Amino acid sequence: MKRYWKPFFLSFLVLLVLFPFTYMVLLSLMSGWQFPDFLPSYFGFKNWATIMTSEGGLLQSFVISVIISLSVAIVTTISGFFISRVVYYHPKSKVLNVLAYFPYILAPVVFAACLSFFFIKLGLFGNVTGVVVAQFLIAFPYALIFFSSFWNQKMKSYADLTATLGGSRLQTYTKVLLPMAKSMLLVCFFQTFLISWFEYGLTSIIGIGKVQTLTIKVFLFIKEANYYYGALSCCLLIFPPVVLLYFNKRYVFKKMV
Amino acid sequence: MKNRIPHIGLVLFVLIGILPFALAFIYALLYSFGVVGVVNTGFTFKFWLAVLQSGEFFKSLIYSALIAFVSMAASVGGALWITIQFRQNLEKKFLSFIAYLPLAIPGVVTGFFIFQLLSKSGFFARISYAFGWIREATDFPDLVNDTFALGINLAFITMVLPFFVLLFLNVFKNERLDELSILAQSLGANPRQVVQRIQLPILLKKARILIVLYFIFLLGSYEVPLILGQESPQMLSVLIIREIKQYDLDKISEGYVAAVLYTIIVSATVLFLFLPKRKNALI
Repeated sequence: MKRYWKPFFLSFLVLLVLFPFTYMVLLSLMSGWQFPDFLPSYFGFKNWATIMTSEGGLLQSFVISVIISLSVAIVTTISGFFISRVVYYHPKSKVLNVLAYFPYILAPVVFAACLSFFFIKLGLFGNVTGVVVAQFLIAFPYALIFFSSFWNQKMKSYADLTATLGGSRLQTYTKVLLPMAKSMLLVCFFQTFLISWFEYGLTSIIGIGKVQTLTIKVFLFIKEANYYYGALSCCLLIFPPVVLLYFNKRYVFKKMV
Repeated sequence: MKNRIPHIGLVLFVLIGILPFALAFIYALLYSFGVVGVVNTGFTFKFWLAVLQSGEFFKSLIYSALIAFVSMAASVGGALWITIQFRQNLEKKFLSFIAYLPLAIPGVVTGFFIFQLLSKSGFFARISYAFGWIREATDFPDLVNDTFALGINLAFITMVLPFFVLLFLNVFKNERLDELSILAQSLGANPRQVVQRIQLPILLKKARILIVLYFIFLLGSYEVPLILGQESPQMLSVLIIREIKQYDLDKISEGYVAAVLYTIIVSATVLFLFLPKRKNALI
């Protein structure tokens, strides 16, 4: 008797979760929705059609975001995997681990503001390469911390056994370590892709508005009070992660606790 | 030859993981003391004194900490309740996917969505008008860009709560809390004691580092308070960037003072959390 409220509450929770997605899609299909009207003057695919034109620059932003996020995710996952092995088998691994946390925990936008001088000097200010490098700097500590659970005594024993049986360093990686780390590599790739995909503050500082990723576009449209294009940008921003999360969800939390 | 690879790895770790942070901190420190900077002339304490005397940084720090605390308390409390009440339902295929969906929404979208719902011409204002509860937009209460940071808190809760639900569900499974609960019941514990003495302590113990980390993340949050925050006081990151990016070149150094103070607070927390301790080490 007491538990009859549960299905209703669960249904309410499901609606609550789906509401932002539905609202953004509906808002992206509207235009001329003036207060206090409850229904918009136009409802259709007019806004979505502009993705294919250069009017909003959304397709270009989407492509730039994909290129940046893929570059960050690939470089971070590969470098994080190999460097984390050195860090976590080092005699001072606990101290190195603590040092890795500093850039990870600092607000990326503040980190970027303090680093911008060096990016100007290196010619990395206001271009895609600079944004990739800056995002790599905040995603790299995540990868290091993420792979820390992989490099345990068991893995060391596997690598030692391979060496004892005559395996080269390359064979240890290609035949033993990389196959065993496959699922973790995949999760790290997805996670660092999302870190880059969701990043706004750091991108706005290093990209100075010239590198217009989707998050930058959302803000631009909010500033212009163009909420319909803002919602459209939000849709482009949230649906790729939904697909990634679907494949990713089995592994994410197993690695966190 | 064999030992060269670990050395290269360590050098790369220092170059990517440590050097940029150290350079950023040293540059901010030098700027805050007037050693570097376009209009600065030499070493001075005046920017530090100005920041410490104005009290804006500390006001912002307390404001940010309060928002982060309220959001974390509501999120962790809500997540614990949902996990304990609905864990069996949330393990079903459809609901388990639904539970992951909020993770696909970045802060910038959450901020925009909450603004769309709660602003004076937003979704709820239109509903209120349709029901005749308000006559014009200004009659609708300030729920965004407001003094009590209602919009920011709501945005943070919608971002953090789902994450902790998923985390607690996995702790439940990994720590075999169902088996432990059955064991406790067979030893005479009532359902209330099972929750209070077994489930809650274990869930909180396993998640405590992430709770502190999330608190720090919220403290330095930028996008959400930028959309939903008020002019004064502002949350830390918004205040720091406003000061550093302002047109008054004389004031930029004060922004770097705030950045240095914020970095020291965050770094001290990291040291407290993760530096190996003799007894009861957290990790």
